[in-house]
Amino acid sequence: MKPAENRFTHWIFETFSVSAEGLGILRIFTSLVILFFLIPGQGSTHFMFLSEMPGDYFAPPPGPMLLLDGFPSYAVFQILHTLLLFSLAGMLLGYYTKTASIITGLTILILQGLIFSIGKVNHEILVALVPAVMAFSNWGAAFSIDSTRKGFSCKVNSWPLTLLALFIGFMIFTAGFPKILGGWLDPATQATQGHLFNQFFVRERDALLAAWFVNLDNVVFWELLDWATVLFEVGFLGAVVSGKWFKRFVCLAVLFHFSTMMMLNIAFLPNFLAYAVFLNWTEIYNLNLLAYRRLTGKKGEKSKKRSVGLLSGVVLILFLSLSYFSSKDVLLRGSDLMLHEVVVVSIAFIMVIFFAVRALYAVIPISSSHNA
Amino acid sequence: MSKKVVKNLFIGVLIWLPVQYGMIGIIGYYHSEPWPALVFPGFKNVYVHEGGFEIAQTRFEVLTKSSIKPIILQPQQIFSEIPLSQLPGFMRTHFSDAEAIQTISPQAVRWLERQVSGAVGNEPLSMDVVNLIGYYALGEEGAIRDSTAELQRITIRFGVR
Repeated sequence: MKPAENRFTHWIFETFSVSAEGLGILRIFTSLVILFFLIPGQGSTHFMFLSEMPGDYFAPPPGPMLLLDGFPSYAVFQILHTLLLFSLAGMLLGYYTKTASIITGLTILILQGLIFSIGKVNHEILVALVPAVMAFSNWGAAFSIDSTRKGFSCKVNSWPLTLLALFIGFMIFTAGFPKILGGWLDPATQATQGHLFNQFFVRERDALLAAWFVNLDNVVFWELLDWATVLFEVGFLGAVVSGKWFKRFVCLAVLFHFSTMMMLNIAFLPNFLAYAVFLNWTEIYNLNLLAYRRLTGKKGEKSKKRSVGLLSGVVLILFLSLSYFSSKDVLLRGSDLMLHEVVVVSIAFIMVIFFAVRALYAVIPISSSHNA
Repeated sequence: MSKKVVKNLFIGVLIWLPVQYGMIGIIGYYHSEPWPALVFPGFKNVYVHEGGFEIAQTRFEVLTKSSIKPIILQPQQIFSEIPLSQLPGFMRTHFSDAEAIQTISPQAVRWLERQVSGAVGNEPLSMDVVNLIGYYALGEEGAIRDSTAELQRITIRFGVR
């Protein structure tokens, strides 16, 4: 094998490492996040609204939706929604996981396509891509009904993570590249500030720290933000070649989205589903198992499944509560920002700060002997 | 999947990603952004000139049987079911071209009447679609709306059955 070909193969298959247990927890987590927070549309009322929209307002984007000549009936939306719920349940329980994950991705894609046919495409394709791509990792190899079947292969693949990283890196690059051409680096104009004004005054996105930033009149600060945004977005593509660098850029992305949320009240929650894939799920599994064993005193083989079952139950209850309070519009009245978006993005932000501090401690070891 | 198939898949994706990006640019220029596509929005620069900036917006002015003055409504008040992230795009597509607004079907007029009626809680007689440019001045106390220029006003009459 030639060195270049060798490097290419190494990049595809060795950039990220995975385990059956880690992927199993990731699958459960992904299913629950989509189920509670990322199902396209805002529920039955939204589907009813679309199905009643006159044909004049059916403006599908160039693509497969052009095959339709109007919004489908409410029944079609309901069938798609039901299919999505069933496939998500299959994914969650690990029942025909690969098929269920692919159907989940496809159904999300179709629902998004219909929703975007009002004349505006939202960039939420990662919600469909994550289950569809991860289907090929064999993330149903552990903590699933599939794994109890005779002859089921428990071999897992890491290349879907590399593929997903490539998609994310490229997509973020496409956000940065037009900014260079569009004048974001021109010191005479401050694009981020301009967008803040647009969101604040026209779309009335004035929650969190938006008002404070509107009154912040510092050209240097705004110009630095313009440059940092472009450099971060364009640089993301380069980071795809290294697992370590890609994860660092994912951390930067979390900081970027957190600041965007605080300032522009835009959360970009679908991206977080994709970023979460790159967490060290094997470490999460091990820590959870350790905590479970310490808590219960049980150390047998069964404790592995039970620890994941308990964790899943806790996450389910948390998501259920968060989803309930979010639907009641508490705390963020009058804003299109949802409570669950603020909570998820803030937790991700805190995690990144934790990782940064941990990495800093690893670089600069601080021991009591130094203090003495 | 064998290693060879996966490698070929990656080669295909590496070729396809820039090709689709180029196609999106061309199709997007002549029509609108294709979907599904692996891109994120670029967010053009909002024009900020010395001492201020300008923002285009659309609002609706509704006359009802009981109103003396027109009732001013923002798009989100009439189309509350459309997420705020999609609303500006929806407005650009359907409420910026004068000819398109004037030639909507009777079915669409009735649908709009229902939406407006729900928003004002009264029977609407007509609705003006007003496209504006708002100028904001940047002062010590932040941005203040300085002036507004009306670019276009089109009337849709309701009750024509």
